[in-house]
Amino acid sequence: MIRRTLAIVAAAAGVLAAVSGSPYRAERATVDVAHLAKAVAAEEDHVTALELAQWIRDRKAGLRIVDLRTAQSFAEYHLPRSERVPLEALLATPTRDADTLVLISDGGAHAAQAWVFLRALGHRRVYFLRGGIGEWLDDVMSPAQPSDLTRYFGGMPRADVDRGTTAAAIRRRGC
Amino acid sequence: MSTLVTAVAIGMAFGWALERAGLGDARKLAGQFYGTDFTVLKVMFSAIVTAMLGAYWLGRLGVLELSRVYVPETWLLPQLAGGLLFGAGFVVAGLCPGTSCVAAATGKGDGALAMLGMFAGVLVTGLAFGVLQPFYESTTRGPLTLPQLLGVPYGVVVCGVVAMALLAFTVAERLEARS
Repeated sequence: MIRRTLAIVAAAAGVLAAVSGSPYRAERATVDVAHLAKAVAAEEDHVTALELAQWIRDRKAGLRIVDLRTAQSFAEYHLPRSERVPLEALLATPTRDADTLVLISDGGAHAAQAWVFLRALGHRRVYFLRGGIGEWLDDVMSPAQPSDLTRYFGGMPRADVDRGTTAAAIRRRGC
Repeated sequence: MSTLVTAVAIGMAFGWALERAGLGDARKLAGQFYGTDFTVLKVMFSAIVTAMLGAYWLGRLGVLELSRVYVPETWLLPQLAGGLLFGAGFVVAGLCPGTSCVAAATGKGDGALAMLGMFAGVLVTGLAFGVLQPFYESTTRGPLTLPQLLGVPYGVVVCGVVAMALLAFTVAERLEARS
């Protein structure tokens, strides 16, 4: 009797599986286009480099800075507390609900695309760095007007920086 | 450390389940090859169906992130050769690696001998690995799954395997009743 019941349960679970779609979360994400458009219009999709610098300095709880650039670019220069995750591996990267994800790419396009993917998967606290790594270097590490944040991260005002300053040189100064 | 503790706990539970299913007895296992006792088929197929349905539905309900589950890579010819060697050893000893451990743990001499043979095989393979390596790493196919290979949705494969299992159980019961 037990074996017959188990067989019926297995058969039912198997038949239901055939019509229930993929078990992979990343393959069945849905996009609420209107909701995403509203978030973009309200500029809730991105952070500026200065906002991100403030979060890092304040040790914002649950902050995860995800760098989508190549391993070589990451090795050359990366933000403090950042982790490198290739775009294709991002969707399988485990996160907690309490995490605040900030996505970084070279310009901003890849990070913005990754933002759409993660929002489609249901992540709520996701942002991308608006101008990519370049905005960080321009606004935090070598701004026209120095700020506490610039000094905190070991940067210097743009006037004092050679035009040929590279990311590697900034890294050597201790960031 | 906790991973090792978990592995030991799972290993002990697995051994206990094998022993309770009677798979520490070489005669019972050999019955599979003579068509008189299909306990191995029923136990193993039940385990496969349970794990498969569990993985599918846990993934579908969002409890398990299935893309994080490791899928072993396929090396076609080396695994085919290994499978044949494994099968030959299974028939000769009447035990497979897991069941030989269970048999040895319950004090059976043939289980201890099969374990000794298993470790000797591991040692010989390790010593000869330099020679075997080109073959060992040949015909690689990456982490293949049935849905990828057959080009059908995951759930359809799940349904098909369950149907195969239920059919195999029915046929096995009839053959056992006849013998």
